[in-house]
Amino acid sequence: MPGSGKSDDRRLGFKASQEVVVVAISVVLFVVFSATLNNFLSQGNIIAILKNVSILGTLAVGMGFVVVGRGIDLTMVAVMVVGVAFSIWVSTWGIDFTLAVICGAILVAAIGLFTGVMVAVAEVPPIFATLAIASSVYGSGRIVFASDVLYAPPDIAWLKFVGNGSVLGVPMSVVIFGAVAAMMGLFLRKTRFGRLVYATGDNPNAARTTGLPTRPIIVTQYVISALIAFTAGIIMTGLVTGIDTRLYNSSLIYDVLLVVVLGGIGLSGGQGGVRNVIAGTILVGILTNGMTILNFSYTSQNLIKSVILLGALAIDAIINPRDEQTSQSGDI
Amino acid sequence: MKLFNKCLLAGMTALALLGAAQAAGAQETDQVGRAPYLESLKGKKVIFVPISQGMDLNQAWVMVWQRHAARYGFSLEVRDPNGDTNAGIRAMQGAIAEKPDLIIVQNPDVQTYARLLKQAQAAGIKVLQVNMQSATQTDSYVGNDWIEMGRLEMGELAKHCTGPNAVSHKVVWLAGVQTGAANIYMRTGIDEVLKANPELQLVSDQPADYISEKARQITETVLQQHPDLCGIMGIWDNAEVGAGAAVAAAGKQDQVTIVTNGAGAATGCESIKNGLLDVIFNFNAPIQGEIAAQQISELLQHPDRKAGSEKTIFFGPITRVDKTNATGRNCWKPEDIK
Repeated sequence: MPGSGKSDDRRLGFKASQEVVVVAISVVLFVVFSATLNNFLSQGNIIAILKNVSILGTLAVGMGFVVVGRGIDLTMVAVMVVGVAFSIWVSTWGIDFTLAVICGAILVAAIGLFTGVMVAVAEVPPIFATLAIASSVYGSGRIVFASDVLYAPPDIAWLKFVGNGSVLGVPMSVVIFGAVAAMMGLFLRKTRFGRLVYATGDNPNAARTTGLPTRPIIVTQYVISALIAFTAGIIMTGLVTGIDTRLYNSSLIYDVLLVVVLGGIGLSGGQGGVRNVIAGTILVGILTNGMTILNFSYTSQNLIKSVILLGALAIDAIINPRDEQTSQSGDI
Repeated sequence: MKLFNKCLLAGMTALALLGAAQAAGAQETDQVGRAPYLESLKGKKVIFVPISQGMDLNQAWVMVWQRHAARYGFSLEVRDPNGDTNAGIRAMQGAIAEKPDLIIVQNPDVQTYARLLKQAQAAGIKVLQVNMQSATQTDSYVGNDWIEMGRLEMGELAKHCTGPNAVSHKVVWLAGVQTGAANIYMRTGIDEVLKANPELQLVSDQPADYISEKARQITETVLQQHPDLCGIMGIWDNAEVGAGAAVAAAGKQDQVTIVTNGAGAATGCESIKNGLLDVIFNFNAPIQGEIAAQQISELLQHPDRKAGSEKTIFFGPITRVDKTNATGRNCWKPEDIK
């Protein structure tokens, strides 16, 4: 568990330094862009940056939660698009949209439960289990919905508010992202369950040997991450009036991983938290905003992001080295 | 008795004459060339490799072709790679190995299938490309004149953004996938209009990758840089609703004109009606499908003609759709085509 020994203290120090590096890069980029790009440092643009990363950030909170427990959830984008598309599809039967959204949430929770059972009980390595389940979920969705793009019914007041509304000048999408992040932060740091997640991620075998309910913990993690993915999907539907299931084929899931790893949540589990996710999200947000203003091509944007992800993974490997203990206690 | 025999003879003669007349009549009403046409299509095998069957245009094409195939007795198989280029390559390789009479292909970009299309033709398989061309020209292409599409869309923005009352001369091009034929050729058309209207300023040229959320994010960022933006042009109505959402959120629907193109699905018309889009240059996928259906017939009728020996191009009609005509056949629904 964090802070429980000398080596962890050292690791905590390194972790902090990666977060500090990320924040420092963000600050440097922010200053450079503010000085060189027109209107970058305007209130509108700052809000645009936050609004544009709200979906990515929300997904990253869910992913971060799973990664802390030494898992990985590659189903998030599939669950997001299929869950919301399912809700829209159900609403076309004449069922009230709000009720349809609840149906979607139930479906998504069931998918999360299944993923969790596959990982925790069947002990399929999370990266393979979630990769396969993501593909199955998306494939099933494609068979059922026929169209890639599904539009939400018009005139749903609360959905419009999610897309266009604001609280004290802060867009609702940002408010929801903030709320999800805050709840997760409190959950991880202040609840017993949260501490158990860290313990499980730090050393699953040791956690199990000492009598912690590791399997229910892992299952719960995947259910919560699926529900967070669904929330991100609802934000997206509010913003652009519909959901495009082809997002599954995009690089979004890698962007989510980029945010998590970049922020300093080690893939070997047991460390990091929501603060890291926010640091990573803000860096990616500033970078994407700057690259869009600078009119960088799509290929060069992806290249820059990929190089940064690779760098972050390398840093992660250096500061969280795999040793005999970690490799024996399971890998992602 | 004589009278009876005479009557019998007369009756038989009348019957024989009637039979002959009927035979002659049947010959006259047999439509010229119909029988060999039906014969040439019957039992033939056609394989379609799309980019993804989840798109409105693909659904419309396939519905039209399935009807055509059912009527004339040829088989149509769809090998959907679902937007995955690698799966598309495998689908193409599989299709070539099966030696069908015709492969219909929607290219993801100009290069990926270029060699495979040559291989197909070398193997004697005729190839019809739909809407997205490859660098390899094959027996036929049915689809948009994309250079003209680029000219039309940027021309529409030129109309709005160069006049004395224009808020500014600033325009945005939200591309799709940059290596796609549609993007490459549209850009040529766009550049022609930009050259003819030097006052127009292309302030952003970013690919939204056909994804509405990406289009929204780019538009939101660009609007911060250029609050006096005049117009946005894109490449698919389902993606540009994201741009429309960003413009609406900024309260600039009266200021920014959003022009795009689309297959003519009812969802596009809805986007015009609810103010997310202003103009869609509609290439009406069911009509495109009908043109391609006739081209399928043409290619199957001439098995003796060597694959790749003749090259045909059909550019389908393009209709400008705005609030005034976002109805009727400009806004099809899948159930209308079935």
